[in-house]
Amino acid sequence: MNMHPHRNQVNVGTRHKRIDALGKVTGATIYASDFSLPGMLHGRILRSEHAHAEIVALDLSVAEAMPGVRAVVTAKTMAFHRYGNLVKDFQVFAEGRVSYIGQAIAAVAADTPEIAEAAMQAIRVEYRPLPAVFDPIVAMQPDAPVLHPDLLQYKASPLADRAGNRSGRTTITVGDVEAGFRQSYRVYEHRFRTPPIHAGYTEPRVAVAQWDAAGIGTVWCNTQLLFDTQAALAEIFGVNVTQIRVIVPAIGGGFGGKLRIGMEHYALALARVAKRPVRVFSTSHEELSAALFRYGSVIEVKTGVDREGRILAKQARAIIDTGACSGSGPLVASTATLILAGPYRIPNLLLEGLAIYTNNHPGGSMRAPSGPMPNFAIESQMDIIAADLGIDPLEFRLRNIIHEGDLSATGQVMTGVGLEECLLKAADAIGWDRKNPENNRGKGLAIGAWMTSRGSSGAYLKLSADGRFTLMVGVVELGTGALTGVAQILADELSVDVADISVVSADSHITPYDFGSQGSRTMATVANAARLAAANLLGKMRPLAAKALGVPEAELQMRGKGFVAGEKSISFAALAAQAQMSAGGLIAEGTYIADPIAYDASRVRNHFSPGWPSPSFHAHAVDLQVDPMSGEITIKDYVVAQDVGYAINPSNLEGQIEGGVVQGIGQAISEELVQVEGRVLNANLTDYKMPTIMDVPPIRVVLVEHPSATGPYGAKGVGEPSCIEPPAAIANAVASATGKRILDLPVTAEKIARA
Amino acid sequence: MRKLSLTVNGERHDIDAEDSATLLDVLRLKLFLTGTKSNCLEAECGVCTVLIDGRAINSCITLAAQCEGADIRTIEGMTDGDKLHPLQQSFIECDAVQCGYCIPGMIMTAAGLLNEKPNPSFEEIQEGLCGTLCRCTGYTKIVQAVQHAAQDGRVRQ
Repeated sequence: MNMHPHRNQVNVGTRHKRIDALGKVTGATIYASDFSLPGMLHGRILRSEHAHAEIVALDLSVAEAMPGVRAVVTAKTMAFHRYGNLVKDFQVFAEGRVSYIGQAIAAVAADTPEIAEAAMQAIRVEYRPLPAVFDPIVAMQPDAPVLHPDLLQYKASPLADRAGNRSGRTTITVGDVEAGFRQSYRVYEHRFRTPPIHAGYTEPRVAVAQWDAAGIGTVWCNTQLLFDTQAALAEIFGVNVTQIRVIVPAIGGGFGGKLRIGMEHYALALARVAKRPVRVFSTSHEELSAALFRYGSVIEVKTGVDREGRILAKQARAIIDTGACSGSGPLVASTATLILAGPYRIPNLLLEGLAIYTNNHPGGSMRAPSGPMPNFAIESQMDIIAADLGIDPLEFRLRNIIHEGDLSATGQVMTGVGLEECLLKAADAIGWDRKNPENNRGKGLAIGAWMTSRGSSGAYLKLSADGRFTLMVGVVELGTGALTGVAQILADELSVDVADISVVSADSHITPYDFGSQGSRTMATVANAARLAAANLLGKMRPLAAKALGVPEAELQMRGKGFVAGEKSISFAALAAQAQMSAGGLIAEGTYIADPIAYDASRVRNHFSPGWPSPSFHAHAVDLQVDPMSGEITIKDYVVAQDVGYAINPSNLEGQIEGGVVQGIGQAISEELVQVEGRVLNANLTDYKMPTIMDVPPIRVVLVEHPSATGPYGAKGVGEPSCIEPPAAIANAVASATGKRILDLPVTAEKIARA
Repeated sequence: MRKLSLTVNGERHDIDAEDSATLLDVLRLKLFLTGTKSNCLEAECGVCTVLIDGRAINSCITLAAQCEGADIRTIEGMTDGDKLHPLQQSFIECDAVQCGYCIPGMIMTAAGLLNEKPNPSFEEIQEGLCGTLCRCTGYTKIVQAVQHAAQDGRVRQ
């Protein structure tokens, strides 16, 4: 397939307005949380108050007897199968034992939310506390309480290397790291910690569920992954996947926090018992205490360098605290190894990613799930080393970064590498030459790479008798503008206007399979599937047009929303009308998955993502001031130079990058789910500090374009990576401004003032 | 239960509501005006913002009974027929919309600000909008959209 620019490029590459904007600014768009059905009940979930305990007694009698209560569901109500994306270690409801605060024990459905709340509170649970473990380092010790005694009996991915409290272990080995340290002029060792944070979507997780007479359970919800949700629900309820229908009306943000099932299974279970539609809406407290957070981590990095500032060896490990169920943990720990390597040429590497169970709440896959934690560690250490060697941090990076054709840590040949250009442009834009223009003011840099995830996309395309095309795809428009980009591409390739393209998405019974809105892949993969569908549809349209016009196909030209041959022409509308009469209408499909990326298998063990399709490269530069008394940070200027491959829609890319930077600033300086013995202490938006409009600096975005060989028009994934580098860039700037180095996120004013 | 008479987007509605019903509940559940969004229910996120007599308030912590006699305006009442309000137009033109869930609340918050300060400075926009969270955009384009609407002097209330 030719991935390169089309000749009739009218819409691709422009700042075309979003196709979904009008409904969103007028309030007309129906989100999952706006969806309701007649006779709908309201569900609430009773959650564990103990981090690790036996359930000695569970008394539902008062709740069940309350007027207006229509269903009370526990593990005993029906056979729920264990689930989980990599290791089947999740239970829908606790069975005899709870292993984290917030774990579901029972759910109730009632006529009103108030009755459901009262019934939930009337359920009596008697616990007998068990020894618990909250620190992943402690959980790795042989005498730690074991979270899953039957771990090896669970169904699991063969790559999830399990033992004790470990659900996954990935390694990368290159050269001889000990020899590298022996040759080194200096060796540096640091340990960093990062706490869990919330994805921060403004629409809480919600599901409305209903079972029909044919035994099909339908959920209207706000998942990012239609088909993963469908498969997980089918597994839990022990039914075929087509007995579960998942529909996403519209979604209010996700950022990875809505990849895995949230409320859907509870709503379906309650609806099955109540024989009525049931809605379950996550409260703000539940969101901040019982959602799929970005994992907390411990990152250890040991780096050896020569006198000239070339990195000779790196040994590092990322310890991911998955909480009591592994979730995405083994994958996140695995991918973290490549972030630990960084976008650097290093001849000797020993990198390890560990997913460790604790009695904290299970986490998940927030935006670039493996990114910010290891990047904060390695990029902080780069500046520590540079300062110790007396080399400028920019120069130190330039001496070590990868270039076109270099190998990644897993042995992938890196292509489309725009890293040096990003680094130089970001440094130039921030005015790197004047690093500390005044007292308590400093600049910081951080760089990184990220992937455009693989996974299949399917697309159906039809031409209607009004000459308009309808594209049907199984992804969710998260708000990134990906589907606007796809419509821009289709419009050009079909020689019509963007307004002539309708996009229907996210109904598992109608739209084709898709790996889903995740991993910075939506635009890249869906667009390629849609382009193939367009090519197939044109392959059906051309012979019909040639026949209708009485000319050879070779003389047809696409122009003016139809085909032209000399003086003769036929519009797409007329062609579609004719086809409906004589040829069964005009429909076509396309499917796409990026080719697997070659890597050196001898370097890796149990790696989930050793080859990165269309890697993206980024450099962040920040200029900030620190109040010497309070430690408060004021960001004066922030620059991102990001290699996006090719900008299908520059405005929407800027929007992704600006939004990701602000999330990253939140993680850098203010966001932390404060956990004490597995309990989140700040589970409300007053105490959980997401950036407001007051906290946002001017952000300048520089788009760098080193094309991908496979992305549409050379585009690379853009959705995730801009949240990766802000913590490191800001920590480095704070160190530059104050001489104080904070190794534990967030870099709060308090920590700076006390350091 | 009590009988309430509320004027929403210029239209009078006589409804029965619990004493404890919030304006948000009444708008969404009784009047089916779901453009006003629901999230934290503790006035921290701002997605439920509407105008009461031209002032932006959080409908999640406002009792419906307090709003009798007031001019209540929701996002659905911002358009004039098919004609968008200048803020709605600006949010589209400045690419300030992503997932869109905060946008009705953000536009209503901005409308309240522009009612008070038709030509707000950058700092006044920040102060005026700081009660409404957006997790997608990083706010950069939202500030631009409000500036754009204000500079054009097109805002009418």
